Amino acid sequence: MAEKSTQRYPQNNNLNEKLIASIDNGIIILNDELKILYFNKWLELHTSIKEGDIIGETIDSVFTNINARTLQRKVKTALRMGTPTFYTASVTKYLIPIKIDQINISNFKHMRQDVSVIPFDLKQQYVALIISDQTNMTNIHNQLTFNIKKINELNLELLKERKTIDQRVILTKIDTRHHITDISLAYLELLDMKKGDMLKSNYFDTQRLRISQELKEKIFDYMQRKEVLKYEEISLSSTGKEICLLNTLVPEYDKSANHIGFIIFGENITSAKLVQEHQTKLLENSRTAAMGEMISMIAHQWRQPLSVINTVVATLKIKKALNILNDEIIDESYIKIENTITYLSETIDDFRNFFKHNKELKTFTIAHLLQKSTQLLKAEIEVLNIDYEEDIDINIEITSYQNELIQTIINILKNSIDAFKEINTENQKISIKAYEEIAHIIIEIEDNAGGIPQEILSKVFEPYFSTKSKNGTGLGLYVCKTIIQEHLKGRITMKSKNDHTLTLIELPKILQNSVAV
Amino acid sequence: MIEINLSEDEKDVLQELMNVAYGNATAIVADMLDAFASLSIPNIKIMNIRELLNTFHSLKGDSYFFSTQAFVGEFSGECAFFIDNESANNLAIHLELDGEEDLNDAILELTNILTSTLTTRLAKEMNTQVQFALPSISKIPLNEMGSNNAFKQYSQVIVIDTQLNFHDQKINGEIFILTKDGSIKWLKNQLNDILKTII
Ligand SMILES: Nc1ncnc2c1ncn2[C@@H]1O[C@H](COP(=O)(O)OP(=O)(O)OP(=O)(O)O)[C@@H](O)[C@H]1O
Ligand SMILES: [Mg+2]
Repeated sequence: MAEKSTQRYPQNNNLNEKLIASIDNGIIILNDELKILYFNKWLELHTSIKEGDIIGETIDSVFTNINARTLQRKVKTALRMGTPTFYTASVTKYLIPIKIDQINISNFKHMRQDVSVIPFDLKQQYVALIISDQTNMTNIHNQLTFNIKKINELNLELLKERKTIDQRVILTKIDTRHHITDISLAYLELLDMKKGDMLKSNYFDTQRLRISQELKEKIFDYMQRKEVLKYEEISLSSTGKEICLLNTLVPEYDKSANHIGFIIFGENITSAKLVQEHQTKLLENSRTAAMGEMISMIAHQWRQPLSVINTVVATLKIKKALNILNDEIIDESYIKIENTITYLSETIDDFRNFFKHNKELKTFTIAHLLQKSTQLLKAEIEVLNIDYEEDIDINIEITSYQNELIQTIINILKNSIDAFKEINTENQKISIKAYEEIAHIIIEIEDNAGGIPQEILSKVFEPYFSTKSKNGTGLGLYVCKTIIQEHLKGRITMKSKNDHTLTLIELPKILQNSVAV
Repeated sequence: MIEINLSEDEKDVLQELMNVAYGNATAIVADMLDAFASLSIPNIKIMNIRELLNTFHSLKGDSYFFSTQAFVGEFSGECAFFIDNESANNLAIHLELDGEEDLNDAILELTNILTSTLTTRLAKEMNTQVQFALPSISKIPLNEMGSNNAFKQYSQVIVIDTQLNFHDQKINGEIFILTKDGSIKWLKNQLNDILKTII
């Protein structure tokens, strides 16, 4: 049995030759004058140049792209140091031009190469250039660089966006224990507070947050169930200002879908809320004022029927004294008094109805509307000797909130009556016209009570604007406008020319889904 | 991470070895530059990574070329060469280079020369061998240096401050030899062996 050799394989040029031929790298041996002494199989295959054709040639005459000076320097340095010098694919791209035909790496025309210049034989001053294909690596590297650039750009955009969000959006983040973990600049500005003061504090801090116990419990409930909730909060700023927010509570989850807290987006409705409150107050005021006005109207209204009763009663007394009272007279008087009393109680009912909050839409004729509106004003109109005229189609119907419309028309007529009291004219006249226009009803109320100067006309709908020093609140027309526009979805305008004032009301024939105040 | 410190004596020996290695490097750089060059006597410091990152912070100027080259063997780690924009331009002028590609290549070569000679020589003095990987280069804004994770795997750094002079042009550079704990321990042993033979 032959002994197995455990000795190092002896120096064998055949083996080296074989290995070098099958290696997946390019190998060139050069002398210190850059003359080619060896050109391996790999290079022959990739360049289609035969070794035999270029032995003894300088490498830069075979591959004219090579900068001889640089290569010379690297060769010299490697030989001098006794350690390799290099070309790197990332910087130099390639040394030996080898065309790439593969499609998947079509980004490059030539193979990217790392080249080591190895001091191969110091005695003879030979170097070996070891060329390795780095195309794939370079490709990946380039893609990576491109993607990193892209990521950075996106990141920058995101940061910018974050900044705008921070500045614009009212936002609070809280953890599961309701401690504030983040709060936007926009909200801090409203609260006039610093981030440091707010972070880690409890969101439900009663110093700042004014919400009812009931609402708080509701919020807790939704938090428990991790559901979205919309609610209104009032926060107190550091300067004591009330800030009204319409909040949306949204549960927040981290990347692995663990529940980590809540985000509360806020919409500042402070000013809207103020306007709303203001308006409600104004309407209330106007109602009280209107009630006072109505009482005086009722007084007017009752004077006549009461005097009827007085007369009847007085007649009865006289007749009884004269002893000429018979059953017939008594029955007659009785019926008269009864009728009058019915009339009186009807007025009171009207009055009461008017102040009842009637939120139901009703269909009624314009004739009926005007009859109801003028009923209480009739007495005064007669006393002042004002000619009242209606020019309407008695069949026109409207679906709307009746009481509000009555209030509006009374306000307008009352203004006309007030104006007549200020001047002395003959032919005092109030005329009302009403007509249909496709989906709308138009009501025109006109008087000849002197008109309104142009500079005043532009202000009559403003709240508290009045020319009636003591007697006017200046709310009448403001309330009219609010009712017509906000509640009845219509339009009201006033025009004045010569001595005439014309009020135009345009209303939808059928009002839908609107809730009156 | 346990910090391994070199004693004063050990530092002295290392400085001596570096001086020898440096002489070698100077001659080769001069050859490469085809000019009389001198390297100032290196100033050697040993610091931990945190101190190194602080050094980066204190460096002025905005643009630096930064090249690295890994080496393997009993003594292993990474050499880094740090050269400012102005010095790089001086190098380009001297070598009559045009184009960024050539300049980068030249810087890599300079890096390779300095780190190879230094490390090879150092290894030789300590009876071992090292092999070098391809160097790589990047132009990194200083403020991003600290966030460069590549440094974090190293524990100790040998910093060699140097200045290349040729003609009337100056090239300032700094060489860092970044090593891991194992190599520092090995280095410490070798230095002590040398110390014993001296005494
Ligand atoms: N028909 C009209 N003719 C002349 N001026 C009018 C007429 N209607 C309104 N005005 C003017 O518009 C002003 C505002 O009217 P508005 O009804 O809002 O308040 P007011 O009547 O003064 O007060 P209030 O309605 O509370 O009694 C009046 O003060 C008056 O100057
Ligand atoms: Mg009025």
